[in-house]
Amino acid sequence: MEPLTFALPKGRLQEEVLALLSEAGYATDADVGRRLVFQDRSGELRFIMAKPSDVPTYVEYGAAALGAVGLDVLREGNWDVLEPLGLNVGVCRLSLAGPAEWRDRNLRLHSGLRVASKYPRLAHDYFQAQGISAEIIYLDGSVELAPAVGLADLLVDMVQSGRTLVENGLVELQIILPSEAVLIVNRAAHKMQFARIEAIVDRLAAAVVRRKRMAV
Amino acid sequence: MDNIALRRQRPLGLTDLFGEQAAAYAGLERTLIEQFERWGYRRVVLPTIGYDETLSTQASPRLREQLYRFFDRDGRELALRPDMTVPVARLVGTTLYDQPFPQRFYYTGKVFRYEQPQAGQRREFTQVGIELIGAASAEADAETIAVAIEALSTLGVDTFQINLGQVEFLKSILNGRGLSAEALFALEQAISRKSHVEIQHTLDALEIGGEVAEVVLALPGLCGDLDVIARARHLTASPAAHHALDHLAHVYELLTLDGHAAHLILDLGEVRSMDYYTGISFHGYVSGLGFHVLSGGRYDRLIGHFGPDLPAVGFAMSIERALLVATKSALKGADLVLPACEHAACRRLARLARSLGLRVELELLGRSGDALANDALARGADHVVLSCDGERCLLMDAGSAKPRELTYDALEAEVRTWSR
Repeated sequence: MEPLTFALPKGRLQEEVLALLSEAGYATDADVGRRLVFQDRSGELRFIMAKPSDVPTYVEYGAAALGAVGLDVLREGNWDVLEPLGLNVGVCRLSLAGPAEWRDRNLRLHSGLRVASKYPRLAHDYFQAQGISAEIIYLDGSVELAPAVGLADLLVDMVQSGRTLVENGLVELQIILPSEAVLIVNRAAHKMQFARIEAIVDRLAAAVVRRKRMAV
Repeated sequence: MDNIALRRQRPLGLTDLFGEQAAAYAGLERTLIEQFERWGYRRVVLPTIGYDETLSTQASPRLREQLYRFFDRDGRELALRPDMTVPVARLVGTTLYDQPFPQRFYYTGKVFRYEQPQAGQRREFTQVGIELIGAASAEADAETIAVAIEALSTLGVDTFQINLGQVEFLKSILNGRGLSAEALFALEQAISRKSHVEIQHTLDALEIGGEVAEVVLALPGLCGDLDVIARARHLTASPAAHHALDHLAHVYELLTLDGHAAHLILDLGEVRSMDYYTGISFHGYVSGLGFHVLSGGRYDRLIGHFGPDLPAVGFAMSIERALLVATKSALKGADLVLPACEHAACRRLARLARSLGLRVELELLGRSGDALANDALARGADHVVLSCDGERCLLMDAGSAKPRELTYDALEAEVRTWSR
């Protein structure tokens, strides 16, 4: 049978997701190196390496049947994919952060608030829901710089340990979205290959549970 | 952006079709129409524009946002139709409501939705589909699905399937719990994403537990053959839910009689558009495509917005999506290319060939000999008249090395054999 294509996010999550897949029975050879396409040893999955924000695109179009991507990336876009399982790796959070003097301020009463973010949509939705009027300034990286140089008052970004914030003299003000890597599945593939995909989801779910038990 | 640049642009999300694609588009549309007619469906031709109030009837908040809206001269709000079902419902509810039932209609037409162009989505696309009005039976549901299966089979793909759901099952479970439209939508979205965590979250937020929560959490896994219905039955004692399942089982069995079981998947987790559908709902999938090519279901409460309540069921296929996988046929060239000359024999030959159903192209650029032969044959022509004098002509046939000379009488006789 043709292997199912699984889109992996290059970078931070890649190793963690591959390790989890390996524990679920989809081990790959150790020396995949810089290859962009490779299979697991059972031949059930064919992995493709994609930029994280491209993973949902591959999956939505059906170029990949499955994929793993951070919930932050997934919610920032507007993709129509299934999300059957949280993988409990790459756990982090999307947070509002800024200089310490903003800690006790009521943001609703600040008009003309400027917020830098790589997540303009999530930031916008958050401020809308909170009744805060803010101008979102899109930046593609190093968002922590923005308050220091007067580009923005605050920022919305992913926080893992919080060290980057501390090093830049910033504090976390509010958690907007808890995030982790999630398994995503193409809608049509899930319909057409139901048993196969459910088996993969089940094995991954079992691997996630085993890890949680070990951690206790 | 200055005007000249804009003039040369197509607005985002719109497409030009030409060449093989356009031919395949027309061919598929024709095939589907012929199929629908063989089932007794009749054509309706409906306006592209309608009042916003009409076209928004029972539209989901999402679809409402996607309407192309504008004003008429009296300041009333108009919109481009986002689907074909509401215009059909308006026609039936206001005009045809007292005519004999069932009424069977098919349509083909462009619909317009202002959405982010992404997987298989365009802002203008073609829906070809049917509506079966005035019959609420399982037989009517089965007929609609059988037509949909036939439509999928014409695409020439390896495998295809219909995922058949029944929104009444979930609705009967949730009924009487006083859930707001927002709450139902949140639940529908979580179930639709098959996200166990999100479903659990939503249930917790709505303070839903017990049997109802168990059923909702089981929905994503209720997908397969007839045993899905048995499994679902065990989850609840609700008579309304059992009734919904009985109906679904009946539809499934009717389709099995015609040998369609191989293409059918029962899928109770398919609950999208729960507020719109009132019974079965289904999506058609084909191998090689990451999204559905057709969707449909029963909507017994739509026509009542325009006239008397009437049961109705239907589906629509998106031609543009289907074209992504449909087997392509190469563009056919002309059967015969002739110089646009003034000889009577030449002109008579052209008329004769067309009357026989052949494709005849005239050479309008004054070329003859090799120049004409090379161009016409490269474009797929079968036969090319390279030159003529009113009585005899030089004819080049595709695949032969050099032309042959023959009289017009001989050519006429030959042309009569080509048409067969």
